[in-house]
Amino acid sequence: MELRINQKTYQVDADADTPLLWVIRDDLGMTGTKYGCGLAQCGACSVLVDGNVVRSCVTPVAGVVGREVTTIEAIEADEVGKRVVSTWVDLQVAQCGYCQSGQVMAATALLKQNPKPSDAQIEAAMVNLCRCGTYNAIHAAMHELADKGDA
Amino acid sequence: MNVRIDPSQEASALDLHEPVNVSRRRFLTGTAVGALVLGFGLPLGSTRVQAAAAATAERGTQVPAFLEIRPDNRVRLLCPFMEGGQGTFTAMAQIVGEELDADPATFLVEAAPPGEAYVVMDNGMRITGGSMSVRMSYPVMRRLGALARAMLLQAGAEKLGVPVGELTTEPGKVVHAASGRSLAYGELAERAMDLPVPAPDTVQLRDPSQFRWIGKPVKRVDAYDKSTGKALYSIDLKVEGMLHAAVQHAPRLGMTVGNVRNEDQVKAMKGVHSVHRLPGAVAVVAERWWHAKRAVEAIQVDWQEPTVDSKVRPMPADFSSDDWLKRLAEEKGPARDDENEGNVASILSDAKSRVDATYHNQYLNHGQLEPPSALARFNPDGSLEVWLPNQAPDMFRADIAKRTGLDPSRITLHSPLLGGFFGRHFLYDSASPYPQAIELSKAVGRPVKLIWSREEEFLRDVLRPVAAVNFRAALDNDGWPLAIEAISATEGPTEAIAGKQGEKLDPTALEGLSGKSYAIPNKRIAQIYVKGPAMLGYWRSVGNSLNDFFYESFLDELADKGGKDPFELRLHLLRDNKRLTTLLQAVGELSGGWKRGPFTAEDGTKRARGVAMASPFGTQTAVIAEVSIENGQVKVHDIWQAIDPGSIVNPAIVEAQVNGAVALGLSQTLVEESVWVDGKPRARNYDLYPILPPARMARVHVRVVESGEKMGGIGEPPLPAVAPAVANAVATLTGQRVRSLPMSRHTFT
Amino acid sequence: MNNSRFARTAGWLAVPCLVAAGLLAWYVTREPASPFENHHIAVADIDPALVARGEYVARLSDCVACHSVPGGAPFAGGLEMATPLGAIHATNITPDTETGIGHYSLADFDRAVRHGVAPDSRRLYPAMPYPSYAKLSDDDVRALYAFFMKGVAPVKQANIQSEIPWPLNLRWPIALWSGVFVEAEPYVARPSQDEMWNRGAYLVQGAGHCGSCHTPRGLAFNEKALDESGAPFLAGALLDGWYAPSLRDDHNTGLGRWSETEIVQFLKTGRNRHAVVYGSMTEAFNNSTQFMTDDDLTAIAHYLKSLPGDPQRDGASWQYQKVSAAERLDTPGAHTYVTRCASCHGLDGKGQPEWMPPLAGATSALAKESASAINITLNGSQRIVAAGVPDAYRMPAFREQLSDQHIAEVLTFMRSAWGNQGSAVDAQAVGKLREHTDPASSSPTILHMR
Repeated sequence: MELRINQKTYQVDADADTPLLWVIRDDLGMTGTKYGCGLAQCGACSVLVDGNVVRSCVTPVAGVVGREVTTIEAIEADEVGKRVVSTWVDLQVAQCGYCQSGQVMAATALLKQNPKPSDAQIEAAMVNLCRCGTYNAIHAAMHELADKGDA
Repeated sequence: MNVRIDPSQEASALDLHEPVNVSRRRFLTGTAVGALVLGFGLPLGSTRVQAAAAATAERGTQVPAFLEIRPDNRVRLLCPFMEGGQGTFTAMAQIVGEELDADPATFLVEAAPPGEAYVVMDNGMRITGGSMSVRMSYPVMRRLGALARAMLLQAGAEKLGVPVGELTTEPGKVVHAASGRSLAYGELAERAMDLPVPAPDTVQLRDPSQFRWIGKPVKRVDAYDKSTGKALYSIDLKVEGMLHAAVQHAPRLGMTVGNVRNEDQVKAMKGVHSVHRLPGAVAVVAERWWHAKRAVEAIQVDWQEPTVDSKVRPMPADFSSDDWLKRLAEEKGPARDDENEGNVASILSDAKSRVDATYHNQYLNHGQLEPPSALARFNPDGSLEVWLPNQAPDMFRADIAKRTGLDPSRITLHSPLLGGFFGRHFLYDSASPYPQAIELSKAVGRPVKLIWSREEEFLRDVLRPVAAVNFRAALDNDGWPLAIEAISATEGPTEAIAGKQGEKLDPTALEGLSGKSYAIPNKRIAQIYVKGPAMLGYWRSVGNSLNDFFYESFLDELADKGGKDPFELRLHLLRDNKRLTTLLQAVGELSGGWKRGPFTAEDGTKRARGVAMASPFGTQTAVIAEVSIENGQVKVHDIWQAIDPGSIVNPAIVEAQVNGAVALGLSQTLVEESVWVDGKPRARNYDLYPILPPARMARVHVRVVESGEKMGGIGEPPLPAVAPAVANAVATLTGQRVRSLPMSRHTFT
Repeated sequence: MNNSRFARTAGWLAVPCLVAAGLLAWYVTREPASPFENHHIAVADIDPALVARGEYVARLSDCVACHSVPGGAPFAGGLEMATPLGAIHATNITPDTETGIGHYSLADFDRAVRHGVAPDSRRLYPAMPYPSYAKLSDDDVRALYAFFMKGVAPVKQANIQSEIPWPLNLRWPIALWSGVFVEAEPYVARPSQDEMWNRGAYLVQGAGHCGSCHTPRGLAFNEKALDESGAPFLAGALLDGWYAPSLRDDHNTGLGRWSETEIVQFLKTGRNRHAVVYGSMTEAFNNSTQFMTDDDLTAIAHYLKSLPGDPQRDGASWQYQKVSAAERLDTPGAHTYVTRCASCHGLDGKGQPEWMPPLAGATSALAKESASAINITLNGSQRIVAAGVPDAYRMPAFREQLSDQHIAEVLTFMRSAWGNQGSAVDAQAVGKLREHTDPASSSPTILHMR
């Protein structure tokens, strides 16, 4: 099947029900998207599909054919993504960093749709788990991004 | 001898043979074509590193084993400690950089291979744990930086032809003020690293008042890579010709593989390379991990009950964690004293005012977000390379040597970044994928990367221990505690790993009950050793994670019984302890003044606050928590924490670590529990084993108190006082005294 | 009324009473007739082809789901079935002569399977679906017997006594129950229908015992209809914490929107664009329907599609209404939906067919009964094992993460979004199910027949 990922076209030989996550990681060798639970519980595998954040561990690859997938590898090619990354670095959000690809993707998706999200919208969107407990740093980064967002 | 490598060649070589740390590649692409790179990218097995690692000398003095300085002044540091989020790479860059006179921002830090050279801690160990890294290696790592600086100065003197005494350094360069000449470290490194290392006592360390980086909120060296998916963890690595593997473990530890019913069917599944029988597990090797995982789940094994000579602790078919906790609470067996002062027994029996209570805690999983993995490769010369998450490379290499019969010198161990650890990656015999990966790689004759699915991880993870503690205490006529006795029925993690009780008590079993600073004249802390069926391990803050909950909660019960305010009670019991009095007052101040409540908050909710203290890993902490009840469950609004680790290296990382430890502390307080039924964990993923979600995180306010006392730990100490502070607040608010965790097991009104 | 008159009257009355008692005693202990009465089969002589056919009938009848437990020997019994009176356990039906059915003649076997009567005239609890198995043909019963005698290994494993206390554990009243509620005749083909329809009817009513779960039950726990002549037949029923939906041509809550091909696909692979098997159906799929031949599945689909729906019961026809859950964050439950459910089932409720089922238009979102929706949310799904391979995706259990109130809210939201018109879910109903159910295991359960 043919996939569009990070503005490139890939030919992939995978079963229709293979999770997008494993196609990205193993077939295409992009390991920035992480496996954490395989059950849509943690969000470490978050990617964008047509601009919406999805958990790639529960996304059968057949479902993204003909759609535009964005992974963390291309996050800085996106204006909003670039701002998110730079805020993440400025505020020193990451600890072990394993969940942060997913956090950055979730943040980018939210801010692309809504440059000035409310507290409730941030709370609803930023639900990925972090075992290191960077939640307050993420919260601070999101508020900084939202404050600077174009109305 | 230095190894000169053309960077373009190196890049392609890396592609093929070496898992690549992307940050290194980014550096490479920025390097001028054709430039010679001093000692760059030495594979860990290289001559110099190995020679250095094998040599014996005074700790932390083999400079070339640690440092490479490149033509562009980048400093590559092979760090004795693993980076798993706690910031040790950054701290080491600060410490070494301070004395080397090189900006930590110019550092590339990687984990050092096994080897004597990297044993830099006072206690002669090489582990990343016990919140030891910085505090136990601080002077040695400073001296290392200073020795390297001395070598660069010497090289500069030779190159400039001036006496070394005329030279000074500025960040990244050697300066000859008299002539106005200077040489960048990168220009001198090659010459410098070939010089003999000066005698350790000849170098002078900087006066702390002159520190530029130590004690400052220096940015983490890994922040960018970790925000862009470029950081590589064990699970991400790939080498040429590599196959992927997945396992299905026996439902209970100790069971063995019997008949495999459908091997042919599984072998015929898409992408499957081969099916394997391992001790207590079956495995599938495949071209893709997803294929391996689906195929291994399809294997139908007739599991056999454990044999009497089982090498691992067999899990009985009727094991129930709830029943086990009941049993511990009723345990009467002989207790061994850890502390016994005054005359506890007679005071208790004569007391007019007594408080007795039984507490227990729950089993916990580590739940680090990166599932365990291991990559093993046998090289054509028969040597073995293993990439794996670990907190103790030398112990792991020794273990691999034992398992494979290979000489340790034939084993190269790589220690990638850890996607969280919290105690998960110590050497636990039955809880690591590397023995399986090695066996599979050997069997298929190709490199194999084995990943444990989250479900397999929950099945084999070692558990945070449980204890049931019977407290008895007596109050004097004024209501002050006169005697306290805590008898803990438990097995410590060290005892579990050894499989028996040692000659001495396991300090990790009782820490947090023992070692309290309160002036209670009569006290007895004792352990009833009860060997359990579950395999145990170390979990962030170890024994303190449970024992401080018990002790500090019970202390509030004493305050209530004696009619004392719990904050005042602690001040009273610490009246002769200036350090802890200061700390307690600091947290009170931080929270806007001690206010117990219940009170009504601005949003109309009824709230209360609780206080607790802990003394883990050489650090002192005091915590105040503010809670309310929402839909029958506890909501923690704020955590104020004052922490005194003596002195610190990076306040920003300290604050982050306090946040992280508070999160884990809240998690164990509010939601986490590993429940076992019929010898099996009920949860095999985060659905049934919830960890703290963002919505339940509290605001965290940190005050670092630098008393100047001996340096203590940072990663673990902020955790233990969280649970009791919350429990004490809940008791004030609801009148319900929580004597077991997690609080999700209780309903509050 | 003096004493003697009373005695006389009583005496007169005693006669019919005695006669009735005698008749009753005869009735409740009688051995029902079997066409195999004088039919002796020597196990050694059983044709392997008959055994193989019997194995297929055992698959059709899903014997293994009850008579085996995970990790236990095939058909050695042990599955615990909760009843309001106490637990009962499925028995050992291996050919062990002491603890199993090794001493059964074909006629004994027949009486147990089709009439619910064991050789000692003991009446079986109708947890054994003999009211359905009564419709099995003589040929199928003979084949089934051949399989159990020769295809199954004998296992010495004593049966577990039921927990039902005296006198409720007396079995003879079951005979009366059977007399009223069981039509003890094998299936008779309807000449007005074609062969495929009749085959489907035979499978659905007989071996498949679909009505055991899908047909509502009366006060005596009897299925209200045993074939298409009764409107309640397969009209949807609540059993054991799950709502087995209508299998009739109901647009909303039945198979109205399913084609015959989609029904076949569902029974063969466990999934189609409308739904994925879950709840008790997972066991039926894992152990039974996927092993049926395409012809049989086609016949089943054909028959089911012939059962008319009931618009009155089913309500106004569901139509998809486009809305994103993310735009309704102010609605209770929507936040939970967005954060917990949408990854798989979509903000638009359309799921990711055929892997994650749509919730828009799902039976669990349209049926009045909310038990299935609550149960799967609390406990997650059991692994679906199709063609020997466990599913790639499963439903997580949310009992440890969401309170009764949260679950009630998210299900109420789900049952009212996208045109769904299921009733609101209340927290008490969630609490009740929470108490009486356990989370599904994340490990695949595979029951072996040999």
